[in-house]
Amino acid sequence: MIEFYHVSKQYVKNQYALNDINLTIEKGEFIFLTGASGAGKSTLLKLAFKEELPSKGQILIDSFNINLIPEKKLFKLRRSIGIVFQDFKLLTRRTIYENIAIPLVIRGERKSVIDKRVHSALSLVGLTHRRNYIPEHVSGGEQQRVAIARAIVGNPKIIIADEPTGNLDTELSVEILKIFERINTNGITIIIATHDKNLIKMFPKRVIRLEKGRLISDWSKEEIL
Amino acid sequence: MSLIRTSLHNAIKNIARNKLISVLCLGIIAFTLLIYGIFNYISFNLNLATREFSKSIEAIFYFKDNVDINRIENLIQRVKNNLLVEQVIFNSKNQAETNFTRQFPELKYILTEFKQSPFPASIEITFKPEYSLDTKVTSFLDEIEKMNIIDSKQLNTEWAKKVMTIKKFISIVGLFLSSILLLVSIFIIYNVIKLNILYRKDEIHILKLVGATNWYIKFPFIIEGALLGFFGSIMASVILFGLLKLFPTYATFMFDLIKGMINVEIIPHFIFVRLIVLGTAIGFFSSLFSTQHFLRT
Repeated sequence: MIEFYHVSKQYVKNQYALNDINLTIEKGEFIFLTGASGAGKSTLLKLAFKEELPSKGQILIDSFNINLIPEKKLFKLRRSIGIVFQDFKLLTRRTIYENIAIPLVIRGERKSVIDKRVHSALSLVGLTHRRNYIPEHVSGGEQQRVAIARAIVGNPKIIIADEPTGNLDTELSVEILKIFERINTNGITIIIATHDKNLIKMFPKRVIRLEKGRLISDWSKEEIL
Repeated sequence: MSLIRTSLHNAIKNIARNKLISVLCLGIIAFTLLIYGIFNYISFNLNLATREFSKSIEAIFYFKDNVDINRIENLIQRVKNNLLVEQVIFNSKNQAETNFTRQFPELKYILTEFKQSPFPASIEITFKPEYSLDTKVTSFLDEIEKMNIIDSKQLNTEWAKKVMTIKKFISIVGLFLSSILLLVSIFIIYNVIKLNILYRKDEIHILKLVGATNWYIKFPFIIEGALLGFFGSIMASVILFGLLKLFPTYATFMFDLIKGMINVEIIPHFIFVRLIVLGTAIGFFSSLFSTQHFLRT
């Protein structure tokens, strides 16, 4: 479903953020992307939703080369991917309900559809009671759950999360990971970048390790177990 | 439809949120358009004045004595056939004498001294108002004057020509001043939108990541620019209307240079329509350029 062929990324000449990455991720997989800071995890994720362009190589999603997607059509790719960030990236002046509704509003969905789907997403992350709060008035863990709800509300095929538990304590991190597991049971591919080894141990999944821009190991769930 | 509604809602919210910038921007647009409107109004009035003068423009050609009547008739026919001409009146020598006697009965005795009418025969040519000040008329008149049956001519186009010159001068000054001020307006709106884009950089980034189309992101900014232009032009129109309607004396005083030519009773509504269309267009295109420039990815 997601394929990387000899993908490299250079921000500075002769310095590789990613170097010759070959990778295939099947539909419905749950993957941890791990490695130290600067290993290239975020860069790899950004390439997948085309926020960055590869310096070399091809990236295919559903057998379609995303390098060929013109700027005007990029929204179609972005609508098929839900993105979650470490710093949540919520709109601070809008309520939790409005934040979650954004992917549906931009598609021009009807109010009744928006209500129904935002309610489902809020239920999934356990935040129905906070729908009218603004993000600043809820905890970090709750803000991250809002970000997850926003990522899933548009029924994406893939969810990409860049250090989603980076700002949270262990207890909240486990809670967030459980939500991702629940989402994954619906067949949605989950890719989570994290450097938290404990989490990876607690949730045995396929683990891809990067080091200095190179893919150094790719262990399946079975190998981890 | 939903995009327009959402964009309109967001644009109004933005204008209300950035009160100081919006008020400054509206003030500058209103001032610019007011200047443009005033020049338009003056120009309109001078046009009216010119048209009024043009209606009475006529040329009189006096014939030499003893000119063959056939040659005169040929000339009259030729003048009548010309598209520039509205009317031709022939005054024979006797007709001229009768006219003189009618106008100055107390001087009738002078004419008794002459065996025949001392007045020359003449033709009075009135031109169609739309051609009165046309260069074609001037060359046509020159052509007639050069004919050997013509003794002299009399023209009353001087006033109209003076008004035309003033009108041209005012149009040029107005165009120059308005162009500069309109450029200033474009620059202001362009930068207000740029500031808003920078202010909402994070929000725009988030919208792009969740799959908003370029138009979905751009449209509220474009609408915002168009609204600023629209409201600015409404302000300019209201002020101009107030100046013309409520303070006609003041308005006449303001345009002292051409006092007497301006008819303050007439308020040409097309100027307001022009202001509103122009203001909205300036806002729309300035913000469109701004978004094209600053919302590139």
